[in-house]
Order: sequence, then C-alpha cells, then structure tokens
Amino acid sequence: MQNDYIIITNNPLVPEKIGGTHNVEYEEISYEEVLKAVRDRIHEGHTLLSHPLSGSVKPNETPYKSIMLSAGKGEVDPRSVVIIENAIEACGKFMFKSDKYKPEVYDDFQMIDWTLLESAITSADVW
Amino acid sequence: MKLEMGHIYIKDIQFAAESKIEDGILYVSEEAVKAVALEDEKIKSVSFDIAKPGESVRITPVKDVIEPRVKVEGRGGIFPGVISKVDTVGSGKTYALKGMAVVTAGKIVGFQEGIIDMTGPGADYTPFSKTLNLVMVCEPVDGIKQHDYEKAVRFAGFRVAVYIGELARNLTPDETKVYETCTIKEGMEKYPDLPRVAYVQMLQSQGLLHDTYVYGVDAKKVLPTVLNPTEIMDGAIVSGNCVSACDKNPTYVHLNNPVVHDMFEEHGKTINFVCQIITNENVYLADKQRSSDWTAKLCKMLDLDGVIVSQEGFGNPDTDLIMNCKKIEAEGVKTVIITDEYAGRDGRSQSLADADAAADAVVTGGNANQVIILPKLDKVIGTLDYVTKIAGASEETLREDGSLEVELQVLTGATNETGFNKLSAR
Repeated sequence: MQNDYIIITNNPLVPEKIGGTHNVEYEEISYEEVLKAVRDRIHEGHTLLSHPLSGSVKPNETPYKSIMLSAGKGEVDPRSVVIIENAIEACGKFMFKSDKYKPEVYDDFQMIDWTLLESAITSADVW
Repeated sequence: MKLEMGHIYIKDIQFAAESKIEDGILYVSEEAVKAVALEDEKIKSVSFDIAKPGESVRITPVKDVIEPRVKVEGRGGIFPGVISKVDTVGSGKTYALKGMAVVTAGKIVGFQEGIIDMTGPGADYTPFSKTLNLVMVCEPVDGIKQHDYEKAVRFAGFRVAVYIGELARNLTPDETKVYETCTIKEGMEKYPDLPRVAYVQMLQSQGLLHDTYVYGVDAKKVLPTVLNPTEIMDGAIVSGNCVSACDKNPTYVHLNNPVVHDMFEEHGKTINFVCQIITNENVYLADKQRSSDWTAKLCKMLDLDGVIVSQEGFGNPDTDLIMNCKKIEAEGVKTVIITDEYAGRDGRSQSLADADAAADAVVTGGNANQVIILPKLDKVIGTLDYVTKIAGASEETLREDGSLEVELQVLTGATNETGFNKLSAR
C-alpha cells in the first residue's frame, strides 16, 4: 500500500485501477467540488503534489479530476493555497457543459484524467 | 552548427498513378501512400483526401500537421529517434516542401480536437487554411487501446510525410536559407557587443494526447537541456498532443518554429542567438520545481542576457511559465514570455492561472475563449460526429442551420504560443 500521498478524485476509474494499492478518496462530486475538497485539505496542512489544472480538457468540459496531496500534514503551504485558489477561479471562466456529452465520451474523459494522474504517480513513486 | 534549408514550393497536389514532384506540382499515388500508412497493423484502413485553400472544406478532428522534409546531406535523417535512427541532426542540407502539409485526422477519444476550415471566418484563424493539405483519416483495428491508436496515427503521419519528402531528394530548391549558430566561445569572440539571448521552449508533457517527443524520448522524462536551434528543423521535436488545438504545437510548428526563425533573423545583428533550451510541463509539482530550477541554472551557466520563453497549453503550464520566468529573472537574465489567454467569453476574466511581478514583458497569442460562428461548409474531411466534443464545443455546438458556435480553442493553431497563428494586434 502506497502511504505517502492521498488521491482525491471523482473519477471512478481511479479506485478501479489503484484502489487496492493506493490511498484513494473517491466521491461522486463535481469537478469544482473536487478542487474545493482539495483546498480544504490544504488548509488542514496537506501539501499539493500534482497540478489541479492538469490536462488540456478544460474545467467544466471534463467532469473528472484527480489530484494528489501529501499524506502527511504540516504548516499550511502558501504555494499550494495560491495554486488551488487560482484553479478554483479558473473554473468560472468556462461554460458548464460537462453534462452535455454522449454517454461513451465519459469513458474517454475518465481515461484522459487517469493518464494525467498516472504521470504524476510515476513521478511520485520515484521517491 | 550550420544547416542549409532548401525550400521547394508546391503549387498544387493531385492524385496520380505515380508519386513525383514536377514543376512544383506534387503528384501522389494514393495506393503508395496507403501502403505506407498501413505498414502498421494497428491501422485497419486509411483514406486520403486533398484540401486546398479557399475550398469549402472543413477538416476535423485534426490530430497533427506535418511538413514533408528530406535530409540530403549531413548526419541523420528527418524525425531522428522516431522514423530515422538516433543521430544528432541540424547540420548539412535539408529540403522542405513549402506551401503544403500532411494532416492526420481520426477519432482517438470522443472529445477529439481540432478544426481546419479552408474558407470562411474559421480560415482566418488557422494558419493551415493557407497550405495545400494532404489529409489522411486513419481507422484503427477493433478493440484497440487509445494509447496504441494515438501512437499508430502519430507514426503513420510521420511515415507518410517522410515518404512525400523523399520525392524531393533530387530536386533543386527554389530558395535556400542558411542557419548557423556558434559554439559558446566562438559566439563570445565574434559578437562581443551583442546581448546573449536564448530561446526557452516549454513542451507539453502530461499524458495521453498531451505529450511531446524529443529525439523519440517522452518529454516528461527529460531534464531541461540545450539544443542547437537547427536541430528542430530536421524534426528533433515532434508532437503527440492535440487537445485544445488552439495552443498546441503540431509537428509543423516545431519544424518551422517562428521564435527560432525570427531569432535567427536577428542573430549577428541585434542579438547573439546562443541556443535553444527545452523544458517540460509535467503534472507533478516537484517535477515543475526541478525543471524550472534546471532551466534557470542553464540560463546562468550560459551567461545569457535574455531569453524568450514560449509556453504550450494553458492552466497547468501557466505555473511552469511563471516559475521559469521568476527563476530566470532571479538569475539576472531578462525574460519575455509568450502565452495565450483564457480570459472568458467576454474577455474580462484573469487571463492566466498564475502570475508574478517578474513577468513584466508578455506577448499573447489571443483569447482562446473568444466565440466564433463557423458557417456550414460543403465538405467535411473526417467527421462532424466529434465536433461537438472538442474542447470549447458541446452537444449544442451544431446549430440548426448547420453552422457551429465554438470558442477559438477548437481551431488548430488559432492562439499558438510560438506566434505561428494569424491573430495579431498589429
């Protein structure tokens, strides 16, 4: 079991892929709610490990987002606060249309979010 | 390092029994290019079409755009580590077929990217409305994984471009340009009074359909490094990304990077163009720190006076852009950064997802959220099934009269962050 980091996600593919080996916190919430859940954890002292705006599929277009945080807690990390606040603000610039795609497209959105997260996991697991 | 670039101007493309270039006309044997594309067993079928400037044609979903080239003298071949063997390129003599492109299209994921309109208002925003386009639409074998399909289409495009480029091997170029950079010591001796300037190019490197390759290596696995700027003219950097097509660099842009070409124009006159530094835009924040530290370190080691930094993409890379800018400036090296904006449909929102006072010289490629109506065109190469799923579009994009209401995001190259776009404040 990987215990160095937590993954906050609303992408069902993530617990399916690594739920047994990684610390995955999956909830059926919106993209923006994932960002806000991460913000709350940052204020508890967790550090942001992956960029919340990863990927070129924009907020409010893809419904899925997976973000990596440190498992350990310390002082509130000001850089993490700035990045997550900017990401939440950026959400507002995009028209909401995550619910306007054909059903099969959601599998592709899940796959892309997974590969973005996977690239962060590859980097994180070097340590 | 010195590279002679021979330009061969293509005036027309026609299908014919035999592939050849004669009097500036490219004749393409459909059978031959199909065979080249189908060398990969993961591709079930491929269809070729020709789209010319001014025609009522929409190409979508576009994956990559490639300029055919051939290496006629010097080390290595086009697309080293990808199509040709790994060898350092960028010297000798290379021919490029100007005025045309190979365009790959095909659905890899359901929200596929990229529109090129050959006429109408959309054509004003994409640079590839002005090229004669040989378009290939690839269908994969059944049950293929997205990663394998993406790779198969990427490589098929390069194979076809190299096949077309080879047709020019024995021709005489219409025009020749020479690009030469000095070694560090030579440059200091030759241009003692000119500012030492480099180009820092940030490469998209995040995952499936978000990747770039340098000599065949996945850019997210490289540390920032130094290139001779002529290396890119032989295909040292190739594209594996196309999501949000407005600000992604197709391979054509890497081959013809306008920052490199403009810096060469000033080389020896107003600046000493020292080198190109490449860095990445990874998802993992510690990677961002390492890469921006290394980029700033290289700028310092090279005793640079200034750099131009170009970004690729939006959001996550904004953080890399600002980290690079801040750290390079902190080393006493002046920066000019090139980005684009996601300023909302009304243009009133914060343009970037990160900012710093050190970023006081910024060039923009335009607002990717800007809304545009694309009228119905007579012919579609590829399929409109996916137009509704590209970034900046939705199921409601296709209007009753057949026109599309989209953001500039969907147009290939519309807000390109190397300046290869057609938007301008001039």
